[in-house]
Amino acid sequence: MLALVSATGCSSAQERADRVIVTGSTTILPIAEQAAETFMSQHPSSSVLVSGLGSSAGIEAVSAGTSQMGTSSRDLKDEETSLGLVDAPIAYDGIAVIVSPKNPVENLTTKQLRAIFAGEITNWKTVGGDDRAIDVVNRDEASGTREAFKKIVMGDVGFAPAAAVLPGTGQVRDVVARATGAIGYISIGFVKPRFTGVSVKALRVDGIVASEKTVADNSYPIGRKLHFFTKGAPTGLTKEFIDFVLSDEIQKGVVVDAGFIPIAEGGTR
Amino acid sequence: MTEHAAPPQTGTLQLVSRSTYIKESLLRSLFFLCAFVFVLAVALIFVFVGWKAWPIVADYGLWRFISGSVWSSGTEQFGILPLIAGSFLVTLGALALGTPLAVGTAVFLSDVASPRVRSFVRPAVELLAGVPSVVYGFFGIILLRSIVARFTGTLGFGAFTAWIVLAIMIVPTIAALSEDALRSIPEGIREASYAMGATQWQTIYKVVVPAAKIGIIDAIILGMGRAIGETMAVLMVVGNAPVFPKGVFAPLSTMTSQIVMDMPYAVGLHRTALFAMAAMLFIFSMLLVATVRLSSRLRSRS
Repeated sequence: MLALVSATGCSSAQERADRVIVTGSTTILPIAEQAAETFMSQHPSSSVLVSGLGSSAGIEAVSAGTSQMGTSSRDLKDEETSLGLVDAPIAYDGIAVIVSPKNPVENLTTKQLRAIFAGEITNWKTVGGDDRAIDVVNRDEASGTREAFKKIVMGDVGFAPAAAVLPGTGQVRDVVARATGAIGYISIGFVKPRFTGVSVKALRVDGIVASEKTVADNSYPIGRKLHFFTKGAPTGLTKEFIDFVLSDEIQKGVVVDAGFIPIAEGGTR
Repeated sequence: MTEHAAPPQTGTLQLVSRSTYIKESLLRSLFFLCAFVFVLAVALIFVFVGWKAWPIVADYGLWRFISGSVWSSGTEQFGILPLIAGSFLVTLGALALGTPLAVGTAVFLSDVASPRVRSFVRPAVELLAGVPSVVYGFFGIILLRSIVARFTGTLGFGAFTAWIVLAIMIVPTIAALSEDALRSIPEGIREASYAMGATQWQTIYKVVVPAAKIGIIDAIILGMGRAIGETMAVLMVVGNAPVFPKGVFAPLSTMTSQIVMDMPYAVGLHRTALFAMAAMLFIFSMLLVATVRLSSRLRSRS
């Protein structure tokens, strides 16, 4: 019976009541994919198709109607505000700049950070630390964290090519924790030692402590909001899926595990 | 072709029964098929890699690809010279460290060790050869890197760490093959040397090792093949910065490790560049194999 309904629905319009297509940000992909998997196992007759093509592609797909939902790790640009998209923020993403606990430096400005990661500042002395070479630890280009750090901190400035490139948050954390001259960046959720005993120190950026709270109230500079966009108010299965992602099961599970900050931490803004 | 079983002919003398003949020719076809499938697989891989890599030659320029010194996918610059340099720096350093150790081990096993000692040193060497490379890489990144980092005040990523890890990896290969070469030297040559009044050291150094020279060189070249193609262990300890390294304690990248790093997200020209790099590796290993074939032909002639 259900199959019959969906079959006729399919022939009359592209939109099927039992299917949601989610397109967009690769940063949100792990959350969306795992949430979709759990959602489908709880709603066996529905299907949620998730793909990661980038935030801009997601916004374009949802406004063109080829997807029911677009995910984005950036806010709407001015020219996109007139598209009639409804925003459902699902999490915060904040990036902490980390150094060894033995490093006396406590604070860096965004400008200093940019110069360090571009390879222009090469000694800690220049930014008020010991006379010691700065060893920059970068992430690989497939990393969403690198993408976000590049967009927020670097702008048009390129990363220093001579920096070590490590393929994973865990490795960056481990290497920086043990090397006095090292500097790296990881999602704020991974700063606290959860699985290993070694600790790293998160620097203040422009004087602001890196924490869930400062990311959520937008005062910490290296943070962003992760969005689900729908064209018009969400209905039917799309709404059910958004509600599911905002439920405690996903917010306190998948979202936290992926290193992001649950949307509730920011209160009602 | 004279050793082939004669086909059964009715009326004349039959050397084998019909069923034996069928069995023999089936087995012959089977072995031929095995070799053929393998050669076909190699040829297909080469054609596929070459086909995928072609746009680099056509659109980007082979010379720009090989001699360029900037590898940056963001700006569509795909110069692999720093990566070739990295591969050779890492490989040659590992050979320099590993070869004396490996040849020494081989001489010890073939000429010095008592049978009892040999019976446990040899399995140990063979065991080292069978350890998966990710284990060496893990050992490298956890233990070796932090030791290097502590003594040099750097991150510990770089050529030096890779040398040590790779040297440990190639010693068993070179040692096992060199030992075969040394053992293939007839006992009579050693006895003749002793009869002339030479000591054991003189016999090894003046007679046995020179006689096995070409076999040992083959072993070193095969060890080099393993080192240049090694990916996992290298990826974990070099630091993956695609630049000419500023010393042996600074991050660098190799061709193999860069392919693995970039593979997950490479599209378009970037992806073709990775295939072109794979083709380069293919050519390097073909050159190494050709060198080994050539030298063993020299050996059989001399």
